[in-house]
Amino acid sequence: MAAPPAAAQLSARTDVSAGGRYVWHGISRAAGLVAQPSLAVELRAHRLSLQSGAVLHYELDRVSSGELSETGAGGRHLGEEDLWGQASVDLGPTRLHAGLVRYVFRGDSGTGGVGSARNTTEVFASLSTTGRYLNPTLEAWWDVDRVRGAFLRASLDLPVLGWPFPPYAFVFAQTEMGLNLGQGPNPARPGELANFASRVRAGRLPGIGATTLAFGARSQLNADDATRVDGLGRTRDFVVWLWTGVTIVLGGAGRTGQ
Amino acid sequence: MSRRRAVLLQAAAVLLVGCGPARLRVPGALSPAPRPGTKGGALQAGFARVDITPPPGVGLAGNGPEGAEARGYRLRLYARVLVLADGGGNRLALVVADLPLSSALLHRRVAALTARTDGIGADRLVIAVTHTHAGPGHFFEAAGYNDQGSSVAGFDPVMVDSLTARVARAVHAAVADLRPARVAWGSRAVWGATRIRSLPAMLRNIPMPTALVDAPPGVALEYQLVDPELAMLRIDQRDSASGAFRPAGAFSIFAMHGTGNAPSNDLLDADIQGLVERRLERHIDPDGGFVPRAVYLFANGAEGDVSPAWPPQSRCNVPTLAPLPALDGPFTRTLWEWRAPTATHLASCRHAAREAISVIGKRVGDDAVALFDALGAALTDRLPLGRAFATLSLRDNAHALGICAEPALGISTLVGADDAHTRIQGWLLFGLFDLGFKQGSPNPNVPGCQAHKRQLFDAAFGGLPNHLFISGNLPSYAQVMVLRLGDRVIGAVPGEVTTTAGRRMREQMLASARGAGLPVSDALILGHANGYLEYITTAEEYTAQYYEGGSTIYGPGEAAMFGRALARLAASVSAGDSLPAAAAPPLDLVVGHQRQVVPRKSAGHVPRPRIERVWCAGDTLYAWLQLGGAAEWAVTTGDVALRPRVEVVVDDATRTVVSWDDDPALEMRLRSRRGGLAWWELSWSGVSGRTYRVRIPEVAESDAVGCAMP
Repeated sequence: MAAPPAAAQLSARTDVSAGGRYVWHGISRAAGLVAQPSLAVELRAHRLSLQSGAVLHYELDRVSSGELSETGAGGRHLGEEDLWGQASVDLGPTRLHAGLVRYVFRGDSGTGGVGSARNTTEVFASLSTTGRYLNPTLEAWWDVDRVRGAFLRASLDLPVLGWPFPPYAFVFAQTEMGLNLGQGPNPARPGELANFASRVRAGRLPGIGATTLAFGARSQLNADDATRVDGLGRTRDFVVWLWTGVTIVLGGAGRTGQ
Repeated sequence: MSRRRAVLLQAAAVLLVGCGPARLRVPGALSPAPRPGTKGGALQAGFARVDITPPPGVGLAGNGPEGAEARGYRLRLYARVLVLADGGGNRLALVVADLPLSSALLHRRVAALTARTDGIGADRLVIAVTHTHAGPGHFFEAAGYNDQGSSVAGFDPVMVDSLTARVARAVHAAVADLRPARVAWGSRAVWGATRIRSLPAMLRNIPMPTALVDAPPGVALEYQLVDPELAMLRIDQRDSASGAFRPAGAFSIFAMHGTGNAPSNDLLDADIQGLVERRLERHIDPDGGFVPRAVYLFANGAEGDVSPAWPPQSRCNVPTLAPLPALDGPFTRTLWEWRAPTATHLASCRHAAREAISVIGKRVGDDAVALFDALGAALTDRLPLGRAFATLSLRDNAHALGICAEPALGISTLVGADDAHTRIQGWLLFGLFDLGFKQGSPNPNVPGCQAHKRQLFDAAFGGLPNHLFISGNLPSYAQVMVLRLGDRVIGAVPGEVTTTAGRRMREQMLASARGAGLPVSDALILGHANGYLEYITTAEEYTAQYYEGGSTIYGPGEAAMFGRALARLAASVSAGDSLPAAAAPPLDLVVGHQRQVVPRKSAGHVPRPRIERVWCAGDTLYAWLQLGGAAEWAVTTGDVALRPRVEVVVDDATRTVVSWDDDPALEMRLRSRRGGLAWWELSWSGVSGRTYRVRIPEVAESDAVGCAMP
């Protein structure tokens, strides 16, 4: 008789990613090299899980005046920290999330950065489902604090078989499309950083604002009971994949600094 | 070149070689010329049985990479041996092992021992397997089957050594058991237990196959087109005490895949064949205790396209690629995993598979019993023996043999047969474009010898991927043998022959043997013998590129090649001689990446076995036990134990035994190897509302536990 599943399961995950540009909600927020360590924990009980985490955004390049940056000119440090929490429920292949994010900015507004006056909070909800080929996700974000704008995103993950012998290899193509409603750049102050900057006028027609293309490599190591080295049911699957994403931003004219 | 660069290059070369597949050179040991009359002039027969159940942790081969890691065992795995000897000193040893694939490496290694001890070399030894897909891998002759034969990759010399020692000891024991014998050949049609699994490929044959006249009407064509023949050689031995001849065992050939178990099965198990063997053995020796004295060798025939008649609900879904649900936060990228089917689904399909095994095993077993009994009236002490043996070097002599010089796998191989599809079955590029990851998807544009075979990425790179990554891992030799056992000739083929290819080979052998003056009445195909070359289809079937065609690795000429080889050997069957060394040249084998798969370490001090707890839940009785060291085989020495490791008894005065650890209803799963000891869980699903005890014979007995009527 197999042991009954644990009543509650606690998990933790940490990631570090680096990129040449920090893009959030489809809009660039820092143009230089950015490192983003993150930590998350999860408490799962049956179909329901509670998750919480934090992500830090470090700008690694020294920024000159006029460059797109959260830290401000001359800075080379933490520009933003985000704290989040969410609840999730699994309904077969479909998953629902609802949560909240607190954005805390650490830049120096005196040197062109983003300071604490711009801190804000968003709530979000998402719906994702899993299929053999297409794994779509729909998300809706709403700033409930300072900006009062919304962001909608639809994304699609598509695994492509790369090697048909174990360990099987897949290339994951990811496509996403976002729509800003009220979170675009402030037309009165076009040089100001977009996203959470201000409300835009209602009725503005969306248009393609920016496209980003990212290539990345990620690996994952499972260490649960079923996969630990000395476990009876160990498997030796080691998953490495390339990640590529395309973000198309609809909902605002082009902005400076990008 | 600087000294530093030279050192670096040398280090790199050493690393590359060290990481490469292991290579072995295996000599051939032929039998010496027999010494006539060493044991009297009459026909003699001897039997033996050896336990070859390895410890958990090995991969279950047969289902390719979907094959699970063994967590324990259900029906134990045995190698059964029959040695026949005539008055001229000729000996033939037939071994049928509960293993997934045969291995030229194992055959050669055993022959090297038995040639010295018993005069039975490679040319007088047949090691065939039942093809149970719940048997261990890691002892095969080709890298592809060791490294990709299950989810546990690697070649393990300890597995080869262990099997070699056990099988060789059993052959020696069977020689020691040689006694005057009487035998009878016969056959019987078994309908309804098997079906053709790749019917569209079979129907491409010219002329189109038709059902035998005694095929049951009104059933689907795939059930009518099988070869239903259960051929049997019954053997009675003279009892040394009474002098009377008593039923002792039998040797059979019946075409049926060993795929009764669901592909997700994770227990070592002898499958349907194991039940058939036990059914007749218990019939012959009903009071035989845990291990009957009777031995029934139930070998496979031309089963390449023949599945047992399992129901669809007995096939479990395979894992699917899915986003990992854990910790998918708003700032994280999705992680992915292979998501197994639900436990409920797996339990359901495994249960259905066990039911099918039980039904089919009983059905075929009952026919075997009926045939065995019917043969009692035809016993004779005359059984002329003979053999012919050849080793074909397939790559070196491809042109002369009429096959392709470079072996290749078709994509249809990668997706698995109907018995067990792999997780990439039916994959489409971007969910839209068909790349041929399915059965029956030939590529008529492929040029050259392997025409029609759709290969990996061949649209973009031609045969290069196969050349670089695949062909070197495939076997290079075929050991072919023809035995004469009385008025039958038997072609032992190292692969899985389809029904129609087998029928053609039998006709060729029979005509050839008769042409050479042998008084034979029938020819049989013994598949999975002395090596493994995957499938052997007819040229017509090959063009359909079903699983069997994609796995006919040396191309469409294979079946004709084997037909010619068997016919040539059937015409040259001999006895009383020794064969020239050219019949068994050394084999240069690439066996894959060497790994320690078979557990090696047990605790230094192993305490007496004990029962930790016993309880009932639903229709199942459970027990937790500590039984021996973590690396112990089910039977440490391989000699068949006289008693089980554990048994279930009724809590009455006589302690009636109702089950033991060789029962399809009783499963032994290893829970842990804590402290270098083996901690097992027993589950027995045969409770019937009584009170039971679990017993380790002569060591421990649990408290009584009452189990409600399910």
